[in-house]
Parts: sequence; C-alpha cells; structure tokens
Amino acid sequence: MIGDIVIIIRDNWLLLLIGQYPNGPLGGLAATLILSVLSIALAFPVAMLIALARLSKSPFLLWPSTVLVYVARGVPLLMLIFWVYFVVPLIIGTRIPGFVTMLVTLVLYEGAFLSEIIRAGIVALGRGQMEAARSLGHSYMGAMAWVILPQALYNMIPSILSQFVSTIKDTTLGYVINVADLTFAANQVNNQLLTQPFQVFFILALIYFVICWSLTRAAIYLERRISNKRSGRGGQVPPAMSAQALTAEP
Amino acid sequence: MITFENVNKKYGEYQALTDINAEVKRGEVVVVCGPSGSGKSTLIRTVNRLEEINSGAILFDGKNVHAPMSRRELNRLRSHVGFVFQSFNLFPHLSTLENITLSPIKINGVKREVAREKAMALLDRVGLAHKADAYPSQLSGGQQQRVAIARALAMEPPAMLFDEPTSALDPEMVGEVLAVMKNLAAEGMTMMCVTHEMGFARDVADRVWFMDSGSILEMADPETFFSAPEHPRAKRFLSDLRH
Repeated sequence: MIGDIVIIIRDNWLLLLIGQYPNGPLGGLAATLILSVLSIALAFPVAMLIALARLSKSPFLLWPSTVLVYVARGVPLLMLIFWVYFVVPLIIGTRIPGFVTMLVTLVLYEGAFLSEIIRAGIVALGRGQMEAARSLGHSYMGAMAWVILPQALYNMIPSILSQFVSTIKDTTLGYVINVADLTFAANQVNNQLLTQPFQVFFILALIYFVICWSLTRAAIYLERRISNKRSGRGGQVPPAMSAQALTAEP
Repeated sequence: MITFENVNKKYGEYQALTDINAEVKRGEVVVVCGPSGSGKSTLIRTVNRLEEINSGAILFDGKNVHAPMSRRELNRLRSHVGFVFQSFNLFPHLSTLENITLSPIKINGVKREVAREKAMALLDRVGLAHKADAYPSQLSGGQQQRVAIARALAMEPPAMLFDEPTSALDPEMVGEVLAVMKNLAAEGMTMMCVTHEMGFARDVADRVWFMDSGSILEMADPETFFSAPEHPRAKRFLSDLRH
C-alpha cells in the first residue's frame, strides 16, 4: 500500500501541488494555503471589530454584530456557502469566482466565531484593568489597544488556534462550489484511478494534518515566547504546563 | 481642590450617596473611614467619574467633573487625578518600568527616554528601582501597590485618590505602602484616602470623614475624631475597632 501511495504521489504531485495551473486556475495545495492564509489574515481583524462592536453600548454597532454572530452560529457553513454562491450573484448581478465566494464566506463565518473567543477573553479580564487604564487617562480604544487586547489575545491563544485550524479544514468545503483546492485535486486523482480511494484520501488527510500540526507548533512556540517575556525569563524555555499542574494532587 | 456639592447617587432604588457636601483643600490629606457598605469607595470613585452621580456636582480644581463634556476632556481630566486601587491593577503583561511609562508616552506624548528616566526616579522614590525590569507576577503585594502609586504619580496629578490601598495586603506589607503615602503627604500632595488604617489617619490625616449608609456623619481633625467622636454611630464604629 505504501508503494501505491508513493506511485500516486510521483504521478500526480504537480496536480496536487498547483492544480491545473497554468492551463487552469491555480489550485491544489497552493490554493488551499492561499485560501487559508487569506481567510485567517482577514478573519482576525474582522473578528476584533465584531468583538468590539458586540461590547459596544451603541445599538448601531451592537445589533448588526450580534445578528451576524447568531446567524453564523446558527447556520451550517455549507448552507452559508450555497447562499453566498447562489444568492449574491443574483443581488449584485454578476458572477463571482468560487475562490472569492469561499474567501468571503469563510471570513464572515470564522470571523464571527473568532469574535466570540476574543470577546470572552476581554470579558474574562474583569473590570479592574480597564478601570486602571481609564483612570490614568487612556481613551477606551487606547486602553483596549495597550492594556486589554494584549492580555486577552494572549490568554486566548489556544482557542484562537483551534479556530484557525478549523478555518483551514473548512476550506475543503470549497469543493462543493468547484473551488480547485487540494481536496478538489485529490478527487480528480481519485476519479482517474478509480480503484485506490483509500490511498488517495490518505495522502489528502496526511497533508491537512501536517499543515494543521505545523500551525499548532507555531502557536505553541509563540505562546511560550510571550510567556517567557512576561515572566522575565528571557530566552529560557519552560516546559509546557502539564495537566498535573492543574490538579491538587501531587 | 475637590468639592462635593449635594452629591446623590443611586444604584437602582438603593441610595448609595446622600447629599454629600464636603471639600478637600489643596495640600490636605483627608481620610474617609466608616463601616463596609457605607459608600466610601463609591464616593472616591465619583471623583474621577469611575462612578456616575445622579445629582449634584463635584468640582476638581474648580471644574465640574460630572458636567457634560467630550470624551477627550474626560480623559484629560482623569489623567490629572491619580487613582490607586485596592487590587493594585498593575498591567501584568508589562514590566514594572513599562507600567509606569505607558501612560506618559501614549497619552502625553512624552519621549521614551525621558519617560524611562522619570519612571526610574519614581521607582527610586518608592524604593523599587531594583525591580524596574521585573513583572508584576514577580512582586509581592506591597511592592505591586508601591509600583501602582508610582504609576499614578507618573502622570503628575495634582491630587491622589486611594481606595483602600492596603486592604488586600498581608499585614507585614501594609507598613511599606503607608510609608510611601506618608512621604507623599509630607511633600504636600493633596490626598483623599479610603482606609481602615486608623494609625495612618491619626498620624497623617488633616481631616477625617466618617461615613455610614451613604452620608458623611462627621468631619473632624483626627485628634478630635479619635478622642471625642460626636456622632453615636462613629462612637460605636471606633469602639468596635478597638475590640
């Protein structure tokens, strides 16, 4: 079976890597990575804005942001993708490429979920930090930028990371609207071979696993670096907090 | 310097402050004491508008803090009132030095080197120059509170408010914080201080305000207040303290 996998990769590596480019759109792993990076990079600032809007007292900010979060939470991502794919062209009168559809949907959907994580991080800090910053004369946004968010985002790194990983995995749903990503390419390979679905999809799973695992490692590295800096330890790397550290038993 | 004029505050139906009329003069040290729930903290928090009031006025340096004003004006006003919290509220993600320099740099646009130099001088003043690069989690409660005082002083406020600054401290750390406050008082800082440290009140305060259920029941110099309190509630409070 390993032999089969090696042969499949040898015969199809270019298709899996870049799709049918330059004879078609850039696809394969390249498309998946670009879609993932763009989704995360855009969803994160969007999530911050939604989180701040959800914490705002102004109904003009509070209401739309709350509706967005509730819709994103209440509707399956697949339905949302179909909506954007079929309904948005009707509204704006022109077709939009699947890649853009997928990007916009992911940014809104993942942004809504991320915003709740960020909001939770902010609320969990309690009032004291905001009061201290305001009593020194910081504006609300100044206090957010220099005092609240640096703490809230750091505390939420594990949850934020999970959401980033989800985002990467959710790019596979682009398959249903013919976005030529890695999943799409793997399916093309499978359709050619017909007899080796297990091997083909094993390759696919492995690649996704490696991408998400790398991201996890990067996040752990980042978390440790920040916690080192904040505990004044400089370059020294402490062991990751073990489960034991959280229990009362020795 | 700080004048309360007919200040009333309600939380829903609950009357937290009732007709407060009082004044903290420039250079004066006022200690506010009273049983818990008497409105001391609420009162001190209205001065920089951490709490809103329902009626009346609070003049700080002649300016009504609770008048309608732009956010920018309110921020500037707050930067002129030093506030020290019971729970320190240092910023845990910043070093001691950064805690002190953050606000002068970001709010007043002070140059980094200038702010650092001044912060070091302030740290020296509270006896913590050697902890400039430490993070709050590495400091004891007393040290954290002294940094918090230095942080407030960095904005060069003409008056300082202390909201039970020693209540969250282990007993052996109370002294070091009070010593810093005594020095400040000796330098002529206008101070309003909610505290249960009656020794501090006796030694340092110019006036003692005694509060219960949202009203100031007695205002006196500490000598008179501790030896011959007039109000029966104050008598009971002081005799409870002695036991």
